[in-house]
Amino acid sequence: MIGGWLSAPRLDLPLGRDASGRFLPWLIALMVYLSGLGGIGLMLLGDTLAEWNRSLTATLTVQVPADASAARLDTAMALLRQSPGIVSARLLPPEETARLVEPWLGSATPVDKLPLPRLIDLQLNPDAKVDLAALRQKLASIAPEAQLDDHRLALGRLRAFAVHVQGVIAAGVALVMALLVLTVVFTARTGLAIHQPVIEILHLLGAPDGYIARQFQTHSLWLGLRGGAIGSVAAAITIVVLGRAASTVDLPAPLVSRGLLDWRLWALLVLTSLAAGVVAMVTARTTVSRGLARMP
Amino acid sequence: MVRLENIGKRYSGGNEVLQDVTLTLDPGGFYFLTGVSGAGKTTLLKIIYLAERPSRGIVSLFDTDTATADRATQSALRRRIGIVFQDFRLVEHLSVRDNVALPLRLAGAPEREIRENVPELLAWLGLGDKIEFRPATLSGGEQQRVAIARAIVRRPDLLLADEPTGNVDDEIAMLLVRVFERINRLGTTVLIATHDVAFARQFEHERFHLEQGILSAVNGAVLQ
Repeated sequence: MIGGWLSAPRLDLPLGRDASGRFLPWLIALMVYLSGLGGIGLMLLGDTLAEWNRSLTATLTVQVPADASAARLDTAMALLRQSPGIVSARLLPPEETARLVEPWLGSATPVDKLPLPRLIDLQLNPDAKVDLAALRQKLASIAPEAQLDDHRLALGRLRAFAVHVQGVIAAGVALVMALLVLTVVFTARTGLAIHQPVIEILHLLGAPDGYIARQFQTHSLWLGLRGGAIGSVAAAITIVVLGRAASTVDLPAPLVSRGLLDWRLWALLVLTSLAAGVVAMVTARTTVSRGLARMP
Repeated sequence: MVRLENIGKRYSGGNEVLQDVTLTLDPGGFYFLTGVSGAGKTTLLKIIYLAERPSRGIVSLFDTDTATADRATQSALRRRIGIVFQDFRLVEHLSVRDNVALPLRLAGAPEREIRENVPELLAWLGLGDKIEFRPATLSGGEQQRVAIARAIVRRPDLLLADEPTGNVDDEIAMLLVRVFERINRLGTTVLIATHDVAFARQFEHERFHLEQGILSAVNGAVLQ
């Protein structure tokens, strides 16, 4: 059963014996591999953006100068907790703040001696619209030098950058697909030239152009699917390897870390393989039909 | 069935190979086309099976004017014709069975019908033990019988044979003509081209003769 599926379909034209037919699956495999990785890259980037969106748009940070008194801090905390849209407010202990800046300042710096501002971590209700201007004004009346950091500004810049990166990846995938089409066009034209004597016999026996074009399209579909399967398996292996490497790092994108468990990976790779087969089939049929129309 | 009117054929820069050829092949008829090598027999057959276009004149096949027929119609017309080519033109990479099955597959015949009919026909032509062979492994006579099997497997309306007796001895040639006569009795119109006028004279069938591109009717054949 599996052997039958793996063996090439029966054809009147000896297309399977062409050198081009032997190389085409590997070329398609390479293109599917690149396209698959590109698609996975797009998904990763999308996941990362969604993760940032989820975690950063629902948080705010308030910086209160280091010399602010405990009473002012308490008043500010009370104000924040009562403000609409704020789910929780947590005053970070000075040690935790010190740990946050330590990677930038190095362990030799006596961080605990620095006048680090006190940080208040705010969790927002994602569905509520917080009036930041009013909140800033109220905070200023309690602690004039307090700052309210809105992460959404930075997130907006990151998002714009990520969209550009996504565009570049999508253009790369489109370029690889265009190369796939050109490769199949070249292979089909070569096949027409090589097999012209047999095509002529088939024509004389009454074969319509569609019958001959179907032979090429079946063959190209088969090569496309085979190349697509090889490329997809290679891309899956790459993801497994990357997933293992990523398991030691806490990456925000779940696809790499979850690796093969993510059903979208499989859907993407299967779809890419099928797309390679269909693109190869349609391209071969179109090319051959045009070529046959020029024959006597 | 087949009607040629004032057919002329000139290859680029050359003399006219066919000059004002007019002939009619009636349904169920059996004809010989004789003439020495180079007389234009193969060109005339090619015009009938639509491998060549005439330089002038009208070709009508099965009541269809071939000049105005589109590619799909031309393919459909060709499927009604069985051809035994002078050089056999078997597909080398296909087995004897698949070569003979080609016209059936082109007509969309079910594989079951192919599995039943092809071996039976090959056995009838004495090739029952060569079904899985490739053409290159067969003798010239065997290849010729495969070519005949391919031409008749669908019981075509018209059978054209180009020098089918050219490469065989008289006994085999006689047997081949008997095979064609049996096909003819089933309703197929047969036209056999041969350079061997003496051989064709042995039969009572109508005969056309080509000489320097000019066709004449012999033994009851009618040009118009």
